[in-house]
Amino acid sequence: MQFGVFTVGDVTPDPTTGRTPTEAERIKAMVAIALKAEEVGLDVFATGEHHNPPFVPSSPTTMLGYIAARTERLVLSTATTLITTNDPVKIAEDFAMLQHLADGRVDLMMGRGNTGPVYPWFGKDIRDGIDLAIENYHLLHRLWREDVVDWEGRHRTPLQSFTSTPRPLDGVPPFVWHGSIRSPEIAEQAAYYGDGFFANNIFWPKEHFIRLINLYRERYEHYGHGSAGQAVVGLGGQVFMRRNSQDAVREFRPYFDNAPVYGHGPSLEDFTSQTPLTVGSPQEVVEKTLSFRQHFGDYQRQLFLVDHAGLPLKTVLEQLDLLGEIVPVLRREFAAGRPAEVPDAPTHASLRQAAAQRKAEVR
Amino acid sequence: MTTIAVVSAGLSEPSSSHLLADRLAAGVGAVLPVEVRTVHLRDVARDVADNLVTGFPSARLKAVVDDVVGADGLIAVTPTFNASYSGLFKSFVDVLEPESLAGKPVLIGATGGTERHSLVLDYALRPLFAYLKADVVPTGVYAASSDWGSPQGLSDRIDRASAELAGLLAGRAPAAPVDKFADVVPFDQLLAGKRHS
Repeated sequence: MQFGVFTVGDVTPDPTTGRTPTEAERIKAMVAIALKAEEVGLDVFATGEHHNPPFVPSSPTTMLGYIAARTERLVLSTATTLITTNDPVKIAEDFAMLQHLADGRVDLMMGRGNTGPVYPWFGKDIRDGIDLAIENYHLLHRLWREDVVDWEGRHRTPLQSFTSTPRPLDGVPPFVWHGSIRSPEIAEQAAYYGDGFFANNIFWPKEHFIRLINLYRERYEHYGHGSAGQAVVGLGGQVFMRRNSQDAVREFRPYFDNAPVYGHGPSLEDFTSQTPLTVGSPQEVVEKTLSFRQHFGDYQRQLFLVDHAGLPLKTVLEQLDLLGEIVPVLRREFAAGRPAEVPDAPTHASLRQAAAQRKAEVR
Repeated sequence: MTTIAVVSAGLSEPSSSHLLADRLAAGVGAVLPVEVRTVHLRDVARDVADNLVTGFPSARLKAVVDDVVGADGLIAVTPTFNASYSGLFKSFVDVLEPESLAGKPVLIGATGGTERHSLVLDYALRPLFAYLKADVVPTGVYAASSDWGSPQGLSDRIDRASAELAGLLAGRAPAAPVDKFADVVPFDQLLAGKRHS
């Protein structure tokens, strides 16, 4: 089981001081969060990709490459990489390059992006969102697995005798997660390829995601990648902790009330009862996080959102210290009673080993 | 039994919109045995606003939405505010999933202080439900304040509209909600650019 943090990279005023960080401060804060994640024993750091203010991370592999040079263990990922508006050729190249620089500590999560104007800025149309996600990923999948690709599709100029460089590290493409909040088509896509499925469940009630994840699991088995219980599932979580539960609520409330996504809507109490958001003591976060397994089955990756809504870096780093304290507890509890057949999240090492095994079997 | 959902966006208590909605439901019930589920949007006003902000319904609002989209027919009544349906009425419609009222028999009603607004049915409500691909009965019922004191007219319109809705509902197969999770398009079709089989 992997634990990590994912960040949207929003530049949001701190509602308690009115101060807005500069872009430089926010970008450096994201790096500091990643370094801290490794320091406290987390496994994964994932950055969003955005091409509009108030977000800064437009160039994820640049940031992840820099973090790769300053970390040793951390898996570098995205949440999400826009498979709709990015050229799949450039994604293939950027992430293969990152793989080499990071010695394989790379995977990525495909997403469509939900901001209408971003599509035309990159010459696309949001109404083609699902089609773009399907066609572009199919090309990306081939570019990492075939040295020379001839290709023709509806959304990109054809390719004749094209080789994406560098080739994936050790001939092993980065593991791919497909992120979706509501589309059964994306669950179907992840299942078809035997890729991971990440349900960003943090803003909505669990009932919806139970159906989405069950669909992915059923179709994963249907396509012959393993049993439904072996499908590779990732989940989000959103937490704010203080030793004392009331302190956490008091401190987080102004951030919640003014948060860009859900602020000025439901009360903190309503939202915590309806979504994975947990504001309280470390023990309460442990309990809520462990409940995910009951709803969604044993899963592989848990990413927490800890740095949005204008929370200052100092506070976020304190949150990471607390996460570092509870993650060993979570590891132990999630391991207890986990069926032996449930795999860990694929890593470069495990994928390389599996590829070598397949090769040996063919011989 | 045939089910009808009765949605009233009236804000006061008592409310002429509630009254009209109840009269319409009783009119349908007089022609056809129906199970009626009544929703006063006022009771879920904050839930509707929260849904607009967060993108998901609270448990309380979800129960209401399920009643409405799961019913065989719908009676929808709104007060006339500034020459149109009320904001709460439209916000409720806005939190329904796309296509969730497609094909549903609907009877539209509106209330107002003066009969000068009676065309709100035909320039505001009817186009809204046409866009939602609902099956709106030809007669809508508008009740101005003065109508409640008239000997005739309103009752006739209620009877005619109710009979039209009952006529649409009689012998009709029960509503079957679309389940996009149960009916997934296989990936080879998605890859071939066919979103909908």
